[in-house]
Amino acid sequence: MTDDSLSPSPSIPTFPTVKPAPRPARLPPWRFWVPLVGQIGLILAVPAQPMWTLVTGKTVVLQTVPVDPYDPMRGYSQTMSYTISRPENLKKLPGWKDVVASPTRDQSSLLPVGKSVYVVLQAPSLPTAEPPQAWQPIRVSHNLPNSLPANQVAIKGKATDRLIEYGLETYYMPEDRRDEINQDISQAQSGQQPQSVVAEVKVSAQGHAVPVSFWVSDRHYHF
Amino acid sequence: MGSEQFRRQLRQEADLWRAEGLIEETQYQQLVERYQLHSLDVAARNRFIVILLGLGSVLIGLGVIIFVAANWQELPRFWKVTLLLSLFTGVNIVGFYESQHAQSGRQRLGQGLLLLGALILGANMALMGQTFHQGGAFYELLLAWGLGVLVMAYGLSSTSLGILSFVIVVFGYWGGWWDLAWGSWSALTAREWSWALLVVQHMPILAGFMFVPLAYGCRSGWIFSLGASASVISLVANLRPFSLNLFSSEAHGWVMAIALALPPALLWGYDDSFWLYGNLPWLSHLYRSHPRLPPPRSFQPLARSLALIFLGIAFYLPSSGWFWELLTPNSTSQIAIRGFPWIDVVVLSGITLVAWVRLLRSNPRTNRSELLATRVVGAMIAIAAITIFWHVRIQAIPMMATAIFNLLLFLLAIGLMREGLGQGRRRAFWGGMVLAILRIFSWFFLFSTDLLFKSLIFILGGAGIILIGLWFERHVQTLTPTSKLHQQTQSSPPQEDAS
Repeated sequence: MTDDSLSPSPSIPTFPTVKPAPRPARLPPWRFWVPLVGQIGLILAVPAQPMWTLVTGKTVVLQTVPVDPYDPMRGYSQTMSYTISRPENLKKLPGWKDVVASPTRDQSSLLPVGKSVYVVLQAPSLPTAEPPQAWQPIRVSHNLPNSLPANQVAIKGKATDRLIEYGLETYYMPEDRRDEINQDISQAQSGQQPQSVVAEVKVSAQGHAVPVSFWVSDRHYHF
Repeated sequence: MGSEQFRRQLRQEADLWRAEGLIEETQYQQLVERYQLHSLDVAARNRFIVILLGLGSVLIGLGVIIFVAANWQELPRFWKVTLLLSLFTGVNIVGFYESQHAQSGRQRLGQGLLLLGALILGANMALMGQTFHQGGAFYELLLAWGLGVLVMAYGLSSTSLGILSFVIVVFGYWGGWWDLAWGSWSALTAREWSWALLVVQHMPILAGFMFVPLAYGCRSGWIFSLGASASVISLVANLRPFSLNLFSSEAHGWVMAIALALPPALLWGYDDSFWLYGNLPWLSHLYRSHPRLPPPRSFQPLARSLALIFLGIAFYLPSSGWFWELLTPNSTSQIAIRGFPWIDVVVLSGITLVAWVRLLRSNPRTNRSELLATRVVGAMIAIAAITIFWHVRIQAIPMMATAIFNLLLFLLAIGLMREGLGQGRRRAFWGGMVLAILRIFSWFFLFSTDLLFKSLIFILGGAGIILIGLWFERHVQTLTPTSKLHQQTQSSPPQEDAS
């Protein structure tokens, strides 16, 4: 536009000064990186507690009980239920009355939904048997019991409307072996001579539990 | 610079003009320069390459996903975690840097990838849980995921991520709400509170804190409306006005009164001048530093529209007799109230009170009509709340209560129509109209069984709507140009002086 020879005739209006297309301003990179690191932290927080339990926890063996084979939730996973999942199996243990005798309006239900409870388990007499023998519940407590002997461990459960859950209720397995394993389990649990189905779990010092593997009679499944 | 289609047409035309001698070569060159006409072919070629690349990478991605899925359970945990994390970070990083690109096509690609990254975040969290056999509550996962997405929405001031986060959080909220309802809210004291249940319980406050500042950051009225609605709807849901035991129609007078009065009062009193013009360094950083967005605007009108919508619904439902018959006055009102959201009600009432005191004390000369509207709305809310409290707690007055709510409904409708007429606001006018018509129609449907009479009402109603609507549209047309002219003469100096 500065060159006089290029200036147009006065009768035709001229364009305003030609500007190159403005380059859009950019966001400072930290506005992306800080949230991203936060999100990665969130993803890693999911397995943090189970990982800690797996590394530091004590191996415990639990007796399972049959569950409804038509569970609609059963996809890639096996739904597990244990003897200690059922309140009727814990009722006779010492400490149960203290746990129930907390303030609730509804006297008919055994435990208020959402209430946490600690079950103390004791190791069997033959800890090295194969398949392993299940640990037995010996006591129930409102709080985390401290200073337990070496052959005992406290596991933390939470009451739902009918059962007590320990975070051990879902076991994920490969899709191609799912049917085979489900069949094996249901045969073992409902056959003429029921075979024992036990689960190996890790329990941390705080009572958090993670499933590790399970045995159907002498067949060991680990995923 | 104009759309690509426009530039293509312009290039054709410019070629023609030059050939016909309408413009000279220099002017042609200036046009080419200004509208970057020479880059049109390059852009098309680039787009083709991008499509090829995109298609190719989608296919490769699918292949990788299927390969991983086939071997997923056999993979050692370490590799699972590494794979998940690298997919997540990869998609997000590419998405961010593409979204910062100068070309709008690549910006859109980047935004798409960022949305994909937000979805992968949820999938990652779920798969991580699965890898360690964690079968926790689904709503917990949703809430954590939604909060994660929200952080990124704040960082990038992204409306699309904000809305995605909102949808996820809302699903999580209702999941948790049902969980609480199922486990009976009455057992709340015995319950061990997980963080997710705390989020559900305090959603009325949290929704405001989570989404309202984001709305200013993104300049998004949508996010503001969604966040404000989530706040008041979750307040009503957590109050459970019909009963503190779900699914029984026992009502608590003052719980109902709060559920009816607090949401519209909060929304009407909402004032963001403090946020927008207050001198808060961290806030200004959040709102004002985005390089691509215009300066933030006030969402107060939006909040008031939401308040009026809430009032419309809250007046419409109780304007029928069945509502009051359903509300059995509660003789055993001394049932201990557990699970009443004390904190949320106290905090939100406090905010509302402060806002209303400020509104009512504002200078009456500067905004007279606004002050009048505030007084009318305040009076309507108070009358409604007192009526419902009286009916449930003191004495059953079904006939009178129905009459009062009908009166309030028509007052609101007339007020809306008047506002709409006075200021040429279509939505207000039609909103009032719809409210009044809805009420009239439900009267005739409930009380009349005569088909001929119904048909007459329909015909009269239809004709009335057409006539009033046509008249209003003409009225708006005559109103708008003059008001525009008025604004112009006030705001801009006369052009003649400059030349």
